[in-house]
Amino acid sequence: MSFDIKIDQGVEIPEVLQSGRVVAELAGEKVRLSLRVKSADRTAVAKALGFTLPAKIGATSSKVGITCACLGPDEWIVIADQDKGGKLYGKALKLASKYDMSVTDVSFRNIGITVTGEGAADMINVGCPLDLRLAAFPVGSCTRSVYEAVPILLYRRAEDSFTVECWRSFAPYVVGLMAAHRSGAAST
Amino acid sequence: MMLIHCPYCDEKRPEIEFAYAGEAHIARPDAAEQQEMSDAQWSEFLFIRDNKRGEHCERWWHANGCNMFFNAVRNTVTDKFVKTYKMGQKRPSASQISKWNEGGNV
Ligand SMILES: [Zn+2]
Repeated sequence: MSFDIKIDQGVEIPEVLQSGRVVAELAGEKVRLSLRVKSADRTAVAKALGFTLPAKIGATSSKVGITCACLGPDEWIVIADQDKGGKLYGKALKLASKYDMSVTDVSFRNIGITVTGEGAADMINVGCPLDLRLAAFPVGSCTRSVYEAVPILLYRRAEDSFTVECWRSFAPYVVGLMAAHRSGAAST
Repeated sequence: MMLIHCPYCDEKRPEIEFAYAGEAHIARPDAAEQQEMSDAQWSEFLFIRDNKRGEHCERWWHANGCNMFFNAVRNTVTDKFVKTYKMGQKRPSASQISKWNEGGNV
């Protein structure tokens, strides 16, 4: 299975988001695997994959080129660089025949937009009502939520850096909203 | 906007992440039972609800969160969420609900 298909994301980052307190960038194509694993098999599957499947909803584990987030009681998403993803998918498929789990390739469902800078949390909060103070949403947190009316996956990579993932078809809308907030509100 | 406690995330999260999913603790008749049911009984199961004034057990879905369904006791007059609890837990008794109310539990 090859993941090196490069498809046109159809999204451009507006100039207003290219410099200043908040900078948005496209995260590039990633491999995304949706894993459902029964709790009894969680540790064994994690060991075989080579990274932790965190038990706590909202927690992540990461190693070079791979981030794994727990999204629900038995649900994880793995987001990997393309050079890691193909092998990982093959491995996960094999495990799925052995353990009580399923794996689905959802690589092309989302695109990632990184939002970085001292105004990053403010920018996210304009459209997302989550409590993004560090104590409530520490570095490494990942959750589904909403940005305006769009379902998103929000990951805090660092204190002032987030990745917002949304469905590909919604991305121009999300980026457009961010640009509107950025140019409309001086505080953002 | 309200904050609703999700028993799976174990966090209070913004109301707009959730969807209401109707009255709780209504068991779906199994296939054999369905064969025996009259149209009137079937429509009763599908459509007839208590529409309670006051503390109401109801289903909620953390659609833009952990994606789990759970149950809640919510006061339909004041809109106060008295308690949320995981699927599979029994319907709380009236005395349990009043205890939660006294404890100010949300
Ligand atoms: Zn939840």
